Amino acid sequence: MSTSVTPQRAAPIGPALAPGFTPGLVLAAIGVGGCAVIALWWQDTFLVHGLGDWLTNAGRITGLLAGYAVVVLLALMARVPALERGVGTDRLARWHAMGGRYTVSLAVAHTVLIIWGYAVTGHTNVVHETATQLTTYPDVLMATVALGLLVAVGVASARAARRRLRYETWHFIHLYTYVAIALAFAHQFATGADFVNNTKARVLWSAMYIAVAALLVWYRVCVPVRDALWHRLRVVNVVRESADIVSIWIGGRDLPSLRAEPGQFFRWRFLTRELWWAANPYSLSAAPRHDLLRITVKASGAHSAALFGLQPGTRVFAEGPYGGFIAARRRRRRVLMIAGGVGITPLRALFESIPADAGELTLLYRTATPDDVVLRHELDGIARYRGAQVHYLVGPPRPGPNDHLSPQRLRHLVPDVAERDVFLCGPELMMAAAERSLRQLGVPARHIHHESFVF
Amino acid sequence: MKRVILSVVGTVAGLVALLSFKAQGHPLPTAGPLPSAGLPAPSPTPAPSNSAGSGATSGPGSQSAAKGSGGTSAASAARTVMGNAVETQYGIVQVQVTVTGTHIDNVSFVQLQAFDGRSQQINSQAAPILLQETVAAQSAHIDSVSGATFTSDGYVQSLQSALDQVGIR
Repeated sequence: MSTSVTPQRAAPIGPALAPGFTPGLVLAAIGVGGCAVIALWWQDTFLVHGLGDWLTNAGRITGLLAGYAVVVLLALMARVPALERGVGTDRLARWHAMGGRYTVSLAVAHTVLIIWGYAVTGHTNVVHETATQLTTYPDVLMATVALGLLVAVGVASARAARRRLRYETWHFIHLYTYVAIALAFAHQFATGADFVNNTKARVLWSAMYIAVAALLVWYRVCVPVRDALWHRLRVVNVVRESADIVSIWIGGRDLPSLRAEPGQFFRWRFLTRELWWAANPYSLSAAPRHDLLRITVKASGAHSAALFGLQPGTRVFAEGPYGGFIAARRRRRRVLMIAGGVGITPLRALFESIPADAGELTLLYRTATPDDVVLRHELDGIARYRGAQVHYLVGPPRPGPNDHLSPQRLRHLVPDVAERDVFLCGPELMMAAAERSLRQLGVPARHIHHESFVF
Repeated sequence: MKRVILSVVGTVAGLVALLSFKAQGHPLPTAGPLPSAGLPAPSPTPAPSNSAGSGATSGPGSQSAAKGSGGTSAASAARTVMGNAVETQYGIVQVQVTVTGTHIDNVSFVQLQAFDGRSQQINSQAAPILLQETVAAQSAHIDSVSGATFTSDGYVQSLQSALDQVGIR
């Protein structure tokens, strides 16, 4: 394998796939499920009378919703291909984070309302009622431990969001939610008024939990292991693109059956003594070939720095493909791509492969310094070959209309921007700036497709 | 932040709306075998601390029934009297009895509240047995239903308080 890579048109990878479930469809399905859960409470409840009843029933509803919401949260993270492609990994992660905070709040509200409600109905004080519930009600002690775990995970996630916690530490703590969900399950049937006398509800509720558990095991364990055994991925070549950017070529057998698309990513685990434990998401930086995949990585942490030393022949365990940043998102003929820094990688793959005639495709590549521009010879080659345009926008952000991504500059570079679909990938601030300008120039939100690195 | 406020307000409003629908007096469920969630519950009983859960009887639950038929001596006409509301560790029990002379014609629950789902399940199994035993024994001297000791004790206390009013021992 030589270090110079000639751009080439991607071989067609399997039949074109439908974009999967759309975000609206998925949200509607989640909403319908929530209504069904409330209907369960509705048909079991005859009369709400007095303060105790009000509190207890509010506690029942929040409890039911929390029990449903944890299942939804797990399903969102089950790496189901139709969800990954249709909704997008970054959006799923955002929903999961928002929903997670909401669910922890529901669980806390459930606990407080039930204790308070029972205390009012039973004419005892809250402390006595808490003690009674912990000691005499079946499985409530376990559920209390579960609540503690959930709250702890919620606090850890809030800290991780503020970068006070290492990603790996946070991820490990996150696994306790599985323990929490298992611990909390028993008390739902043992004390839940909607379940004790309702076999059908118990069966459906269990089926929901079992189905999501099956999805998790299948897509997060079985499929990756099956793929690893079948495709036998190995590092083929390591190419230094610049001082801090490296491209890694990965070979294996029967790669077309992975159905990877340009713009998607895998979670890569390089099986060396230092790297095997971490699975990091890196986008394909070239359209997948029938025998080779390529990623391009910027050394930003200890893990990515270690990739420079990878030896050809190293075994690779890759989970994927994931992500909905794909050509199927596109709704219009003409396309504008805006890349920021190392966000060029998925756009490099799309730039090469997205169907477009000459003059229909433009790439803006935004970096802070000239040294940050990578794969330039490839991008220029693809542009020549396809009759597409590339503009390199180099320099620090500037205030006002002089910024590279200001509406004025964008309109100057791409006069027909309002008639284009826009693919956007880069650091958060840069994407926010670009999206603001695009909206000002009259590009509707549904024609702006982006992928965030943050998940 | 806007999202947080929206979701909190939305949730609370949704809960209040749902609950207020249910707060507009629905009658007892026709299918439900027990008034487990039925009649206006919280009796104004100033429950003494329920030591060991055996429950304490109290309250003026029986006065009106007792007064209503106080004047005439035990006649052959059927009378319905209400027992005290008895609070146990797991719920509230209150019965009413229809007697003719010293014969117990019928017993039914005015309240059978459970504080949690499990107790509700236990109650729904124990209740018909207790009612049957009462009619069979023609007194409050009946066996506890195993597994439902607290409910049985509360039932017997409420029943006896009703029977006291008509002189059945």
